Amino acid sequence: MSDVTATLIPAGENSFRLGAYVGRGGYEAARKTILTMKPREVLEEVKKANLRGRGGAGFPAGSKWAFVPQADGRPKYLCVNADEGEPGTFKDRAIMTQDPHLLLEGILLTCYAVGIHTAFIYIRAEYEAIAQRLEAAIEEARQKGFLGPDIFGSGFGLDVLVHRGAGAYICGEETALLESIEGKRGMPRLKPPFPASVGLFRSPTVINNVETIANVPLIFRYGADWFVARGLPRDGGTRIFGVSGAVRKPGLYELPVGTPLGKIIYEWAGGPAEGQSIKAVVPGGLSAPFLTPEEIDVPMDYESLARAKSMLGSAGVIVIGDRTPIIDVLRIVARFYAHESCGQCTPCRIGTTWISKIADRIGAGAGTSGDLDLIRHLAEGMKAKTLCPMGDAAAFPVLSIVEKFGQELGEAISR
Amino acid sequence: MNGKGMVTIQIDGRTMQVPTGTTVLKVADQAGIVIPRFCYHPAFEPEGSCRMCLVEIEDLPKLDLACSTVVREGMNVWTSTPKVLQARKNVLEFLLADHPLDCPICDKAGECFLQDYYDKHGRYASRFLEAKEKKEKKIPIGKRLLLDRERCVLCTRCVRFLRRVTGTGELGVFERSVKAEIGIDEGTEIVNNYSGNLVDICPVGAITDGDFRFKTRVWFLEKGRTVCPRCSRGCNIVVQSVRNYPLSGRQRRIYRIVPAENQDVNGYWICDFGRFGYHDIEDNRLTAIAVNRGGPAEGRPHSWEDIVKGLAAEIRALVDAGRASSLAVILTSSLTNEELAACRKLFADALGVRSIFFADPKPGKADGYLLTADRTPNGSGAAALGFSPGLPELEKLAGAPDLLIIFGPHLLEHYPAERLADSLKGIRRKYLLAAHRSGLDALADIVLPTAHPAEKKGSFTNVKGTAQSFECAVKPPRGCLPEGEILSRLAAELGVELE
Repeated sequence: MSDVTATLIPAGENSFRLGAYVGRGGYEAARKTILTMKPREVLEEVKKANLRGRGGAGFPAGSKWAFVPQADGRPKYLCVNADEGEPGTFKDRAIMTQDPHLLLEGILLTCYAVGIHTAFIYIRAEYEAIAQRLEAAIEEARQKGFLGPDIFGSGFGLDVLVHRGAGAYICGEETALLESIEGKRGMPRLKPPFPASVGLFRSPTVINNVETIANVPLIFRYGADWFVARGLPRDGGTRIFGVSGAVRKPGLYELPVGTPLGKIIYEWAGGPAEGQSIKAVVPGGLSAPFLTPEEIDVPMDYESLARAKSMLGSAGVIVIGDRTPIIDVLRIVARFYAHESCGQCTPCRIGTTWISKIADRIGAGAGTSGDLDLIRHLAEGMKAKTLCPMGDAAAFPVLSIVEKFGQELGEAISR
Repeated sequence: MNGKGMVTIQIDGRTMQVPTGTTVLKVADQAGIVIPRFCYHPAFEPEGSCRMCLVEIEDLPKLDLACSTVVREGMNVWTSTPKVLQARKNVLEFLLADHPLDCPICDKAGECFLQDYYDKHGRYASRFLEAKEKKEKKIPIGKRLLLDRERCVLCTRCVRFLRRVTGTGELGVFERSVKAEIGIDEGTEIVNNYSGNLVDICPVGAITDGDFRFKTRVWFLEKGRTVCPRCSRGCNIVVQSVRNYPLSGRQRRIYRIVPAENQDVNGYWICDFGRFGYHDIEDNRLTAIAVNRGGPAEGRPHSWEDIVKGLAAEIRALVDAGRASSLAVILTSSLTNEELAACRKLFADALGVRSIFFADPKPGKADGYLLTADRTPNGSGAAALGFSPGLPELEKLAGAPDLLIIFGPHLLEHYPAERLADSLKGIRRKYLLAAHRSGLDALADIVLPTAHPAEKKGSFTNVKGTAQSFECAVKPPRGCLPEGEILSRLAAELGVELE
């Protein structure tokens, strides 16, 4: 197995306490960095580490931060995306539960690099206990002077606020998240302008996933070269793969970026569940196109999965066993997106529901011969045509299911 | 070479120089290239939600929105490639999936974006086998407006209008996904003076006007552009009416007034006070000459010729007797510049009348946006012509003139009826020229039915001093003459050159 030490999710009952974190060397990287490096140098170091976004799109974090304009009188904000709504994804909750101070140190370093003095952690309503743990951690850090008006005596100040969502999937989309923090309906904004220039409260805003930010302290604790060496040259570090579904050992596995999917499933997650074989695998959260068992040798990094016509996404691996009828999978997938569409733009609002109704009808034994063609047609009508990425997110899994499991679906229709 | 602040782009193969910062949709509109849209309205920032205006931009992997994409130097836009046409078809198919298709009973039919676009870009056979979403179809949302959620395409033009134009924000989007709907907070209603614009900007039949509802079909409507006479703003309007078919006989009926765009005056909007003034064109009209006392040819139908001849003879007799000073005229600021100029020339210059007064509607309350306190359309015009509008003093009027010519019915708004009647009693002959019935009719000896401002051509000068010409938007009822026509006949009879 791998020789990489897990760094993002420490074990231990009290790992989340500030004392325990400091005992692991916590906040030392931030102290040294803030007291000895210029913000610009911090940003360059993150660029060098090739840290890519862990939320789904995989955008290089350093480049994203560099888009934020220099001081123009407006405040700047960091929004940490802790909405973690992508089905099959449960990594951020582990980081925040076991190691909230790692996230806070990451926030501190990020804000120092970009010149931000207010950060929000936008957390889904279902994570209430975690939200409370974060608030307690923020209070601990404040009392130690790791957060507040004059951190480490450097003169740099930072406040971190926990903002609870209300349970909508779409609020994980970065601009819907901003709307939600502003107290509005969580609906994606039309881009451009991009949040880096016009974001929260019309001010320059950096939005990163929890896991992305949690990786930042490691870059400064061990160095950018170390970080790159743990992953791939153009995609540094580890990923926390959340494996769920029909496997023997579902759970979270922190492994180098580029670890093959098959290895994750068979060597780490213990292979298919008792008495089952694998029918399909979702490699990166529900929005990623499904893979067949023949396709799971793919390395788990952005480029390799793109070549396999799927996505690394949030690295949430869902294994579907052969006992599960694929029509049931299609129904659940379609119903999820139909339920979660914000309703703002036409193709997603209607397309998701229409597909869901067809899938339910097929499931109820009333399918017709044109149904699969129609589903494909409707999904194509959403793909790349919606205001936010949700149209793609809803279309991709549906299209891949119809394409790769058409025969089984056809049998469900003719039965 | 590009001029300053210009970029060169290609759209459907045509090379165009366009201003920096403009959008593909605006360029297309100017070039006469039709790109369909629902949510985009030029009064608002692009919303980008209907996805109908997607176009192909060379070198970009995805279709892009015409409404929000800002032009760039060298951009090459194609607005009707197979990919674009397919995307439009997709959007229409989505929008029509749950649509009730109740066009036969929908007021919007004939001017509905959904209907027009289906005809041009849709034309597919429906493949929707599922149950349609049922929604409420007749929700009162304030004033006379009704909301039909089944017809709604969620373009949110109404929501944005109420947030950005009136700032009242009565409507919002409630629920999400396919259940998303336009709604109003419980217990509230739309109460602002611009609510009627919601009907105009709704691209489909989702918001209808209870006053227009089910009364006619839009393709029967004749449209005439004019200037709203209900205050001094001078908003540009279109009066929409039906003459003859499908009305029985030789009837005329005004069905609605809608705004005409004029960025210098009213933008895209008009107020409800002006909009619902179309009843004012129809209701309570004087349509026949009435001779209450004296005058020529008593007892038989009166012709305009006889009446004008009679009036001219009375004026001539006074002037010949050197008593022009016993002729008084009361004008109104609702007369056009041309009519007022004619009055000036005829009464003041040619006949030497000194007693020229004005009786206008009482000022109302300005609404802080378009509606002004001055409820006449041409006070500025009257002032520019040298008139100093003022009401006559009743004491001076009483018994002094032999002949009084009153334009408009507004005198009674300023004096108690009994005092006015007493004061007018002593005047030997009183002519009233008015479009509408009023209590003044009985006090006048001879009442002449005139045209409503929408029924004549001319010009008004608005509160900002802008003179706006207009043509006759709708023909006057039979029996009515515009004041200008009466004045020119009278001048001809008196041998006065008006031109």
